[in-house]
Amino acid sequence: MDLNYSAEDREFRDNTRRWLEANVPTQELATLEERKAWHRKLYEAGYVGMLWPREFGGWGASPMQQAIVQDEMARVSAPPPINGLGIGFIGPTIIVHGTDWQKQRYLKKMLTAEEIWCQLYSEPNAGSDLASLRTRAEDQGDHFLVNGQKIWTSSGPISDWGILLARTDSKVAKHKGISCFLLHMRQPGVEVRPLRQITGSSLFSEVFMTNARAEKRDLIGKLNQGWEIAQTTLGWERGANSLGRVTRYAIAFTQLVRAAKELKRGGRPLFDDPVVRAKLGRIYADLEVQRYAGLRVLSALLKSDSPGAASSITKLSYTEFEKRYYELALEILGHRGQLISAREEFEEVDTSSGEPGTWATAFLWSRAGTIYSGSSEIQKNIIGERVLGLPKEVRADRLKA
Amino acid sequence: MDFSFSPDQQLLKNSARAFLDEHMKPATVRLLWDDPRGESDTLWKEMAQLGWLGLSLPEAYGGSALGMVETAVLLEEIGRAACPGPYWPTALAATAIERAGSDAQKKRWLSAVATGDARATIALLDADLDWNPEAMTTRAEKSGSGFTLSGTKQFVPWAHVADVLLVPAKTTDGLTLFLVDPSAAGLTLEPAPVMDLAARLTAVKLEKVAVPADGVLGGPGQAGPLLAELLRRGAVGAAAEMLGAARRCLDMAVEYAKVREQFGQPIGSFQAIRHKCAEMLLEVENSHSAVYYAAWALDAGAEDAALAASVAKAYVGDAARRVCGEAIQVHGGIGFTWEYDLHLYFKRAKALEPLYGDGDYHRELIVRRVAG
Ligand SMILES: Cc1cc2nc3c(=O)[nH]c(=O)nc-3n(C[C@H](O)[C@H](O)[C@H](O)COP(=O)(O)OP(=O)(O)OC[C@H]3O[C@@H](n4cnc5c(N)ncnc54)[C@H](O)[C@@H]3O)c2cc1C
Repeated sequence: MDLNYSAEDREFRDNTRRWLEANVPTQELATLEERKAWHRKLYEAGYVGMLWPREFGGWGASPMQQAIVQDEMARVSAPPPINGLGIGFIGPTIIVHGTDWQKQRYLKKMLTAEEIWCQLYSEPNAGSDLASLRTRAEDQGDHFLVNGQKIWTSSGPISDWGILLARTDSKVAKHKGISCFLLHMRQPGVEVRPLRQITGSSLFSEVFMTNARAEKRDLIGKLNQGWEIAQTTLGWERGANSLGRVTRYAIAFTQLVRAAKELKRGGRPLFDDPVVRAKLGRIYADLEVQRYAGLRVLSALLKSDSPGAASSITKLSYTEFEKRYYELALEILGHRGQLISAREEFEEVDTSSGEPGTWATAFLWSRAGTIYSGSSEIQKNIIGERVLGLPKEVRADRLKA
Repeated sequence: MDFSFSPDQQLLKNSARAFLDEHMKPATVRLLWDDPRGESDTLWKEMAQLGWLGLSLPEAYGGSALGMVETAVLLEEIGRAACPGPYWPTALAATAIERAGSDAQKKRWLSAVATGDARATIALLDADLDWNPEAMTTRAEKSGSGFTLSGTKQFVPWAHVADVLLVPAKTTDGLTLFLVDPSAAGLTLEPAPVMDLAARLTAVKLEKVAVPADGVLGGPGQAGPLLAELLRRGAVGAAAEMLGAARRCLDMAVEYAKVREQFGQPIGSFQAIRHKCAEMLLEVENSHSAVYYAAWALDAGAEDAALAASVAKAYVGDAARRVCGEAIQVHGGIGFTWEYDLHLYFKRAKALEPLYGDGDYHRELIVRRVAG
């Protein structure tokens, strides 16, 4: 056991810090074009696509270096890069399963955010049970004809391309008849309708596909291999944000303490109330434990690249923590915590939403993490079955299959 | 950055597990419930031979000069076995003597600890059950070349088998630590019967107990920082032991959930049970991170070492209580019986929870440290 950062890690951190201090935008990035420009700057400095191999335009960096960059960006509240889904997992899917043509055509433009990507998996009737999806893709010789509906598609309205799971054989068991495609979003057969989230913004959307075209050359892997592909490439990035996330929580904690010292109840600062202090102490212990656990994941990543089913523990841990954390913050702050356009000292609380936030946004956004990327309940199923080896549950679809 | 055990640390863990599995079976723990000393001298001597008692002591005194990480590895296994005995109080007291003692004091005690010929403990808790050393009411008056101590120390672990007691008291110079002979006149020991029959806690009453000048450990008035350090180490060690108890309960719950059938299927296939087990695993793994981060930080002299010790104690105390309790829930009625072994670990974790600063105390320390 040695939890010291190596000399190279420290030097890398210093260099990153210096670069960020010199380059972080001083004004809020208002337009997509401005965010793309900032993204490209980060990419050229070596801070985007860090884990990607060099031959595909990445930087071949270590998970530790990537975690350090995320950490330093959080420290100065730098706007995050965009195209996170693309770079985090769609690109890696293409790298692992794609053809040379696909790699040539898509990867570089994804890294530079010249083309924005979305994930077309969930459907109105296929969420946790993703394999029951109904969107169909029919072979038309030179292309596939796609019909169906997707939902909760993040970044839908701004996307140029999407990775799509669609049914190509309805006569076999549900997992076996699914294929994976790259779908051009800017075509007449694809209609994107923004959906408003509880935060008030419209970061996700519905996508309707009516006789949309998926080219033959855009099939990923073999026909009907889509489910395996979707399974094997989930989670390339797990752990990469372990430090940055906790740093953001810690910054929010400092702001919470500042507020608790300023707000008064019964004539004395909330901060002097033993009940409030006990709450703060408990949540900070919880926060630090997330950090230690993050370091442990990072250390495991440095030794082998697949944390496997154990990454479910990490995801469950920090998403559930995040809910407890912002619940507690708003409990202490009362109505002040619910202001949607806050006074200055309550601003800057940016969670991984990428939205410049208030306490209210952070609180609301914390409800998302335990739903997307496999809900907490699904994570507990995975932990129970694959980590602890508990017997599988009796499920109606398994009885049928 | 490497959070995994070194091959040597892993070896220590494996051999401790194997040794305790053989020599400290639940039935052995049960036998010691009725034993007046509550521990096994044979086992103690074997632990000395394995090098456990001198694990963190300097080589000059027969120790191995290993760190808190190795000590935590051992304590986790001790907790896993709910092994009774004065291991941790003795090791902690030896650390105090090593840090602050005179050559003569070190010569007198350290080798004897390493060889298993001496046991020791520290009386950290005063009459008021306040873990803040400044709050103590035990006094030491100057008398001749030495001191006389008066006051009460509560819930002192394993004082009834100790050959020397480390007793903090206030002198006119401030907090001072004394080496007290348990057979000294004016000193009485009163066992406190607690629900974990294998955790022996004793009240130490001091009525004008004479301590000679060479019984002062470190200078008079100098004990404050040392006591804070001992509380931190003590807290991390107790957290490691609670982690071991919690992991044992988790393992037992998971095994049981695989074999116990109701409604025609193993109860582990019910989500209510499976999800509970997943949550227990989450808390155990987070506790592992907390314990070993804190232990490493103490060894490395990291700037957040004190914070990490408080975090570990506060977090693992809550987690171990929940995990051990939920293991009973997973077992149903059998888990509530005296014959079934779960309560050994459940009670051990609970007995450790208030030791070396309870959760509330450490949470307050955390707030002071990070928020002023
Ligand atoms: C902010 C946000 C962004 C998203 N972005 C995308 C995106 O870009 N692309 C995309 O494809 N999808 C996206 N999703 C969708 C997300 O993946 C799904 O919401 C998720 O898979 C859950 O599916 P569902 O909403 O249909 O809920 P359901 O699956 O209907 O679940 C409802 C409830 O039932 C529980 N449940 C379901 N099955 C089980 C089970 N077997 N055991 C126990 N409990 C169970 C769930 O845990 C949940 O509590 C996003 C979601 C959110 C909230």
